[in-house]
Amino acid sequence: MSAVDLTQFHKTFFEESLEGLDAMEAALLALGAGSTDSELVHTIFRAAHSIKGGAATFGFTDVAAFTHVAESLLEEVRSERRAVDAELVELLLRSVDALRAMLDRSGRGQPVADAESEALRAELVRLVSGEAAVAVVVAPKAAAVSGWDIGFVALPHLLQTGNDPLRVFRELQQLGRLEVVRAFIVDGAPSQLSALDPTQCYLGWDLRLHGATTRADIDAVFDWLDGDCELAIKPLAEAPAASAAVAAVANEPKPAAPVAPQAQQAIASSETSSIRVGIDKVDALINMMGELVITQSMLSEIGEKFEISQLERLRDGLAHLERTTRELQESVMRIRMLPIGSVFNRFPRLVHDLERKLDKRVKLELHGEGTELDKTVLEKIGDPLVHLVRNAIDHGLESPAQRKAAGKSETGTLKLNAYHEGGNIVVQISDDGAGLNHAAIVAKAQQRGLISVGQELSDAEVAELIFQPGFSTAAKATDLSGRGVGMDVVRRNVRDLGGGVGVRSVSGKGSIFTITLPLTLAIIDGLVTAVGSERYIVPLTSIVESLRLRAEAVRKIAGGGEVFHFRDEYLPIMRLHHAFGCVDAITDIESGIVVVVEEGGRRMGLLVDDLLGQQQAVVKSLEAHYRRVQGISGATILSDGSVALIVDVGGVVRLGRSKAA
Amino acid sequence: MTGKQKTADGKRQAAAAPALDGASPADSAVPAEAVVVTLPADCRIAAQVALKTVLIDALVAGKVMLDGRVVEHADTAGLQLLMLFQRELKSRGGTSSWRGASDALNDAAGLLGLSQTLELPAAALA
Amino acid sequence: MAKILAVDDSASMRGMVAFTLRGAGHEVTEAENGQLALDAARASRHDLVLADVNMPVMDGIAMVRELRALDAYKGVPILMLTTESHTERKMEGKAAGATGWLVKPFDPEQLLATVKRVLG
Repeated sequence: MSAVDLTQFHKTFFEESLEGLDAMEAALLALGAGSTDSELVHTIFRAAHSIKGGAATFGFTDVAAFTHVAESLLEEVRSERRAVDAELVELLLRSVDALRAMLDRSGRGQPVADAESEALRAELVRLVSGEAAVAVVVAPKAAAVSGWDIGFVALPHLLQTGNDPLRVFRELQQLGRLEVVRAFIVDGAPSQLSALDPTQCYLGWDLRLHGATTRADIDAVFDWLDGDCELAIKPLAEAPAASAAVAAVANEPKPAAPVAPQAQQAIASSETSSIRVGIDKVDALINMMGELVITQSMLSEIGEKFEISQLERLRDGLAHLERTTRELQESVMRIRMLPIGSVFNRFPRLVHDLERKLDKRVKLELHGEGTELDKTVLEKIGDPLVHLVRNAIDHGLESPAQRKAAGKSETGTLKLNAYHEGGNIVVQISDDGAGLNHAAIVAKAQQRGLISVGQELSDAEVAELIFQPGFSTAAKATDLSGRGVGMDVVRRNVRDLGGGVGVRSVSGKGSIFTITLPLTLAIIDGLVTAVGSERYIVPLTSIVESLRLRAEAVRKIAGGGEVFHFRDEYLPIMRLHHAFGCVDAITDIESGIVVVVEEGGRRMGLLVDDLLGQQQAVVKSLEAHYRRVQGISGATILSDGSVALIVDVGGVVRLGRSKAA
Repeated sequence: MTGKQKTADGKRQAAAAPALDGASPADSAVPAEAVVVTLPADCRIAAQVALKTVLIDALVAGKVMLDGRVVEHADTAGLQLLMLFQRELKSRGGTSSWRGASDALNDAAGLLGLSQTLELPAAALA
Repeated sequence: MAKILAVDDSASMRGMVAFTLRGAGHEVTEAENGQLALDAARASRHDLVLADVNMPVMDGIAMVRELRALDAYKGVPILMLTTESHTERKMEGKAAGATGWLVKPFDPEQLLATVKRVLG
């Protein structure tokens, strides 16, 4: 009957519920750490309460039933009938996990409750004191009488609550014939109009409701007036009083109805990615738009009847346009930026779980949660960070006993820090643990054949070894850091984001892993180069220098490669026209230009025809529109409307090396 | 009834202020010296402070004619104010009469059992 | 058609309420906590306020208290959207000046019936 399709709100419900669970988890962890802030309990309660309300409204009965019990337990905590202890925090954390899983299954249209969630729910039910004993006394199913006398006197504030006897009388009329026996002004009413507050009520009524009506029906009409009136309800004198009230236990939950089909529908189908933007960012955009409109009208005014005397104004206008455009661009880019705190937030829980699992004591410090990252980067940086945190606790931090023996505090410190540095975001994961075990790393690398026996390695070189594919120093592969994922995967993931990862370590003092990420993926500052009739953009951040080479500076090496001498080293030359198959390009090195690029500490010269200038390029995915091309990270549209490809320097360097090899 | 109210809702405008007019000699229905108080279309709680001021002014007139013909909404607060007005007017020796009352006014008064106390003319006579 | 202020920190609940009411021809203002609702209430008068109880920043109870202190909201119906398990909160809402309540969970029909109940 209802024209309202509730499924449209499911996605929002899932999103906000997951956010609520995150808040709940964070608050539980703070409580577990001994905080007594009462706002924490409110936060937890509020989250459970909202999820319950939403779940019930949108037909996720299993989720509603589960949160109902959790909420009852939390209500006891909130009203200080139950103390918070480690067990309770643990149980509620498990409930958070169970709810996440239930929501996930709801979203995918799978059966929502499972054995695990049911067991947990049973555990919660057992804990909720005396819930089974609570009985709700419902109005007796008394035999209907022939009518009721209702004495109803409004208290002065009744009208101010937004209630009106008119509404009440109208509803009583629905129950039976309503007779107003007497309407009167109460004694306390001011006799002078000037002394009257017309929003106060001084009226009373003797009513008679004829017909077979139950007391419960009448009570329901007056339910909102509880505390706003004096009420005397009696069965009509001629009718015998209703039989004694029989208390009934009616608190049995309704049997969980099978989840409505629409509730089972997956949200996956509407998995369009959305972003939540702070209003200040939107306001900034609107301001910029305003500026742009003003500049535009000023320029068109100049253009309409241009005289050379206005040249200065034109220049000003164009300068203003340029400034505004850049600011607008920055504002637009900021929309994609989200604080890294949303990723950091999952670590308190992870650390909490790892402490228990590994019998270690860890103090987690988070810094720079407000540092903003591009949304795409943010989504992909989570897994590498999780791995590094696991690694730090599993391999870096020692057991309390070991720490004590080493003269350290039994509790190790794990620090996550994010900050801006130049055009980059730096994320550091540092611990005050044992540091990298050089001997073990070297031994393992020898065993794996990564280095030869007897090879002398610097500290930095040893540290680099852990990022080699297939490397793992853990004496036994735990289920934590193991998982078949090594540091090489972390490095590869970070590189896919255009970033890098490195480690510094001091034996006995700890390690610092540093991830460097580009501020944003979507726009790069690039150098536009010509190769034949094509245009290629080389990211400025990768460029060391551009130079013209004399033919004698170039040497051919075995295998057909070319190298040139550049600042104490020989660098390979990559002819871009060759790599990308461009025709009509300059093939004579002396006539072209070599752009020296660097990626991951490796340098290389790219031969192009000419340099056309710097430009900011909005990166368009090539994969999304065509397919992945090695050595190309994307495409962009130049100011003249033509398309240019963006050189993936890392990819080109690898391409060059594999060709040289 | 609901249908009728909906229509009224649809045309609802900003609540017209209650008006206190001197009797117009051209209007034969108004007794001489009587002051006419026109009740606003929205005669509910939010309008009562303004209506109270008008009624206090009318108290000194002695003869008051209430015009409830344009009332589209009335509530308990509105009817109560009229009751207390009439009570005080009577205690000062004044008299009040009705120039007419809308269905909405009559319905509300009837439901609350106040039609007689207010001496409302039956809607049909209005 | 009435002008209704819908207050709930849950975007899904708020969305459901607003969508349902708009579908019935009402004009709906949405607010995600009591403070924002107060701002909206001060900006223009509403015929009905529907408010969740548990909200961050300013909860529904405090909001009702503040609303009732405004002349324009003396007799305006304010309904608390609440859950059955919290009778004492219901009464707290009443004491603060709420008109009544609508028990969660409710479906669109129940919502419209209750709105009709207060608006007549």
